[in-house]
Amino acid sequence: MITLSPKHIFKVPVEAECISPDVFAEKSTKEIAMLQIWEGNRKRTIGDFFKIKHGTDSSSEEITIRISGDVGKVRRIGAGMSIGEIIIDGDIGMHLGEEMEGGIITVAGNAGSWVGSMMKNGTIEVKGNAGDYVGAAYRGSTRGMGGGTVIVHGNAGNEVGCFMRGGLIKVYGSVGEFVGIHMRKGTIFVQGNSEGRAGAEMTGGKIVVCGWVPSIVPTFTIDSIRPKVKINEETITGPFYMFFGDLAEDGNGRLYVSQTQNPHLAFYEKYL
Amino acid sequence: MDLAIRNGRIVERVDEKKAEVIDASGMLVMPGGVDIHCHIAGAEVNSGRLLRPEDHFRDVEVKTAVTRSGVGYSIPSTFTTGYRYARMGYTTVMNPSMPPLEARHTHEELDDTPMVDKATYPLLGDWWFVLEHLRDGQIEECAAHVAWMMSATKGYAIKIVNPGGLEAWGFGRNVKNLDDSVPYFNVTPREIVRGLCKVNKLLNMPHTIHVHTNNLGKPGNYITALETMKCVEDLAEGKRPVIHITHCQFCAFKGSDWQTMSSGAEEIAKYVNHHDHVTLDMGQVIFTDTTTMTADGPFQYGLYNLTGNKWVNHDVETETSSGIVPFRYKRKSAVHATQWSIGLELALLIKDPWKIYMTTDHPNGGPFTAYPNIIAWLMSRVARKKTLGKISKRARRKSLLPSIDRELSFYEIAVVTRAGQAKALNLTQKGHLGVGADADIAVYGINPEQIDPSKKYKTVRRAFRRAAYTIKDGEIVVKNGQIVKSVFGKTFWVDVKTSLPMEVNDDLKQKFREYWTVEYENYPIPDRFLHFPAPIPVKAEV
Amino acid sequence: MVPVISGVTCPVCGSFCDDIELVVKNNAITDVKNACAVGVAKFLNYTNHRHVIPLIRKNGELVETSLDEAVRKSAEILVDATYPILYGWSSTSCEAIRVGLELAEEVGGVIDNTSTICHGPSILSIQDIGISSCTLGQLRHRADIVIYWGSNPWSAHPRHIERYTAFSTGRFQATAWRGYLSRLGAILTKKRLMRAVNLVLRRDVSAPPGIDRRLPYSLFRKGRKMIVVDVRRTRSAELADYFLQVEPNSDYELLQAFRMLIRDEELDVDEVAGVPVEILEEVADIMIGCELGILFFGLGLTMTKGKLRNIDAALSLVRDLNQRTKFLIMPMRGHFNVTGANVVFTWQTGYPYAVDFSQGFPRYNPGETSMIDILCRGESDAGLIIASDPVAHFPREAAQNLVKNPLIVIDPEVTPTSLMADVVIPSAFVGIEVEGTAYRMDHVPLPLKKVVEPPENCLSDVEILQRILREARRIRRRYN
Repeated sequence: MITLSPKHIFKVPVEAECISPDVFAEKSTKEIAMLQIWEGNRKRTIGDFFKIKHGTDSSSEEITIRISGDVGKVRRIGAGMSIGEIIIDGDIGMHLGEEMEGGIITVAGNAGSWVGSMMKNGTIEVKGNAGDYVGAAYRGSTRGMGGGTVIVHGNAGNEVGCFMRGGLIKVYGSVGEFVGIHMRKGTIFVQGNSEGRAGAEMTGGKIVVCGWVPSIVPTFTIDSIRPKVKINEETITGPFYMFFGDLAEDGNGRLYVSQTQNPHLAFYEKYL
Repeated sequence: MDLAIRNGRIVERVDEKKAEVIDASGMLVMPGGVDIHCHIAGAEVNSGRLLRPEDHFRDVEVKTAVTRSGVGYSIPSTFTTGYRYARMGYTTVMNPSMPPLEARHTHEELDDTPMVDKATYPLLGDWWFVLEHLRDGQIEECAAHVAWMMSATKGYAIKIVNPGGLEAWGFGRNVKNLDDSVPYFNVTPREIVRGLCKVNKLLNMPHTIHVHTNNLGKPGNYITALETMKCVEDLAEGKRPVIHITHCQFCAFKGSDWQTMSSGAEEIAKYVNHHDHVTLDMGQVIFTDTTTMTADGPFQYGLYNLTGNKWVNHDVETETSSGIVPFRYKRKSAVHATQWSIGLELALLIKDPWKIYMTTDHPNGGPFTAYPNIIAWLMSRVARKKTLGKISKRARRKSLLPSIDRELSFYEIAVVTRAGQAKALNLTQKGHLGVGADADIAVYGINPEQIDPSKKYKTVRRAFRRAAYTIKDGEIVVKNGQIVKSVFGKTFWVDVKTSLPMEVNDDLKQKFREYWTVEYENYPIPDRFLHFPAPIPVKAEV
Repeated sequence: MVPVISGVTCPVCGSFCDDIELVVKNNAITDVKNACAVGVAKFLNYTNHRHVIPLIRKNGELVETSLDEAVRKSAEILVDATYPILYGWSSTSCEAIRVGLELAEEVGGVIDNTSTICHGPSILSIQDIGISSCTLGQLRHRADIVIYWGSNPWSAHPRHIERYTAFSTGRFQATAWRGYLSRLGAILTKKRLMRAVNLVLRRDVSAPPGIDRRLPYSLFRKGRKMIVVDVRRTRSAELADYFLQVEPNSDYELLQAFRMLIRDEELDVDEVAGVPVEILEEVADIMIGCELGILFFGLGLTMTKGKLRNIDAALSLVRDLNQRTKFLIMPMRGHFNVTGANVVFTWQTGYPYAVDFSQGFPRYNPGETSMIDILCRGESDAGLIIASDPVAHFPREAAQNLVKNPLIVIDPEVTPTSLMADVVIPSAFVGIEVEGTAYRMDHVPLPLKKVVEPPENCLSDVEILQRILREARRIRRRYN
């Protein structure tokens, strides 16, 4: 276990892509301290900003990096990682685990936007809230999260799972607008409420909202009432209204919305 | 043999004691590369850049002491475009599609494209003035207006794209063949091509008309390509070309639909081998994710329908249109693989390398940074075979490449990548190393006397990727593929002098207000607008 | 003979009219022809409230200084900063923006233009969907259905309708002005009659009249027709053949619903955005049945709930409409050169706004590298503001964080931002005192004219930025 403790509060953005088990593997404390990070437009090193404590294990398979302290302004931690574990004791900045291919990241506090964007595999768990664009694609791209799992215990922001094409996102709190927008494949589970427009422009995949939604996008059509729905191996008890959509995109996505929490959607039942 | 350079020109000799000496022994020395058709500047290109941030973020160029930063991949930013051409030993590039109303935009971007000399071709094939004059048979009037337009937009050649089709696209339609009348204008694509060919001759333009044919990208369109070439056969004089068919691969399809689509390269090559009035450029396809962009609005909309990819359309009042669609060419697609084969078949079956030039119609077929790959394919049967082994089986079966033994020599490569293009453009100071030429020189780290390109195609590819030296106007600007000095090239434009200049009276100004939404006086680009203008005066026959 | 300068482009809004005529006497503009009220106001009043001497803050007060000192201090501020921001750009020339980008790259800062608070969302959705668009002349010649959605051109782009759309005449379509006048006559007559009737019958007129959603006959005849879609009856709505009033914050649903209706498909719901589906079906028929339609949209879509996805739906709708007829879409750009800012940013960096040079190459991620977000998070440590007034327009938290740090302002006028600056460099007015190039909302580049001489100390933005750039390079060489 390698522990990094920030030496001071960051004001300008700090980018620390090198904080990743793949990069730290088989490096000494001195070598880790020399790794380059960006503070705004200045090139710095890990050693400039972090106190490094190197644990006794050296097997690269078990690399664990622990970050204790405020890293809410540090971006791109765990980007592209494929092995090992990162544990963050507080808040974390944007682009956490972006494009990651394996390994585990756990955040005790809140995470910035773009958690797990474009990730291919691995697991990210955020105990607090996450920002916008969880598991999303980059601007202009249709390749969002393709695999892996992101779990948010708190709330998440807007456009969760934008252009998602695989994997699983679970939000135990509520989400903002446009959860699953342009989704191709994959699964999104929201235990709380959605601010609206869930599943907009989706062409495939599955979205489950156990809480309240203000309305359903008019280009969805009701299919049936389901007593339960499966999220990978887990079974979630409904009952749920199941909608197909987005028909404007000739989509085959499935949107499950709680029946009991959404009495204002009862008028859809006349179409069944 | 030695080359002497002074004041940016190749001269007979210089004082060796005072000169900087570059030892290029054992290396390949060629004139700097000339690219006759690459979309690098202007409204359409920039819309493509804006459309595709995802094309840029993985391909970046960091700022250095000598160079500005930028991004690639298929539509690089302007500084990056210039640097990447220079690194490959290219020194002159032609932007082939400029909507006249937005000419300022093209020139602003060309001014920000370093390292290379450049020029651009205004799109005139659907301009209302042209359509009306040709409908009424007024060739000389048409010529006078085209001459004015060439100066107003600081253009180099007459560009025609899907003649008649772009005007029809103004209402969402297209033209089907050379004799399909343009709605509301009562003129046919054949009349447009012939009319502008005559105009081009009357104006003594350095280049021929530069034509993107009707029915681009449609199976069976090789017939349209042949008809377009034939329709100006009678206007040829002697052995001089009168028409240039651009990115010919895209208009060399046989078949009636995508299932039956195959190569029409053989028929086209046969025609071109027996006629001297035509030049072509390849429009070679590379298996990659790239961006298509042309002035052919209806064709680009068709591509959107085919792929479902994002689609940009921009119609320009009174003049032209454009469209942009990202596109991925896949090895395992029978159609894409056939397209790949067609480009090479054209280059290898047309016997005279002075008639067919190497381009990818950047970025339509692929980024220009793939040129070294094409050189390898042209020079090595083994290289072609290797790629053939990876493509769709159906395409491999239909491809003519296995039966073609020809491999281009270094001399022929010099022709298809520089000398031929310079000649077609009539850039008398480019594309050769004779005394009086601009000192635009590329030195490649490959010994033509020792390397067998047929076997060592990988070495060839490497060498052409990173020039050992690129010299621009007599200054060393690239060493070992690195930019060592940033320079800005010139923008050529043709200053056509007619005997009677077009009369600018109130009638014309009123016509302007009726046709365009800009005032007459704000349309032409003043001479001082370009940072490095190089007008080429030409005396017209009208 | 009074000297009249013709063909002047108006440096105010995205309509960028180029037929303005100015009368200039003794280096002052005395008369303006052809411009709208906003343009006239600028040409005649631009010299009020202007800076003419560079200022620098010493001991909390702004005092006069030399240009050299102001330039030196500006360069110092930028070079010392770890994450400087350079913002504005939309009201100056492309030539100045080119230098600005070079400066941002040199100092490793973030450069952003006013798209970030205006049509940035439109750009984001264009990057996902694409856009079917054109130059304005295409519409003047061909458009028979003109839709303004969430945009009020009569107030914000006053000459738009008469120059380019419903009240203009082109090759294939004539102006609808006469039709509007007779409609207006009929409406006024009806209003007078109703007033008289209500008086006689002593009707209670305090309650607002119910919305009559029926499509008028004029929408079905040949010729140009204008439709306005908005949440309230704007002045532009008064001009339209048909005003479709929609519930606030439901435009996304409505646009998506239209996507199905134009394919003759049915919806599961009876009304969308407060409008009955039967009415929407008729509107969809009008859209499909046109020869060429245009959808203009403004901040009613970009800055209401849904933001960029409202535009996503609009772009997708217009794209889908092209299966049935010819349809185009265009954002109503605000400033006269915000389009130019996008254009120049894109050709030099690959990205249209929110460009971060801090690592030596351009990076783009609105939300991360965009001005409001950076400022609200308090991440920048210096700022250069040019051709813009963020203190007046930004959210308070952003403005507070902006002025907390060293701030350089380049502007001809005294603005709330310049009053809070640490360095103020007065510049000349582009399009009046300095020439240049700017891009109209439809990407057509036009020249900005110089018609009068600027005051002695007021250099062009280009020159000021070039001086700061030179000085910044000098300082960095010294550090190395």
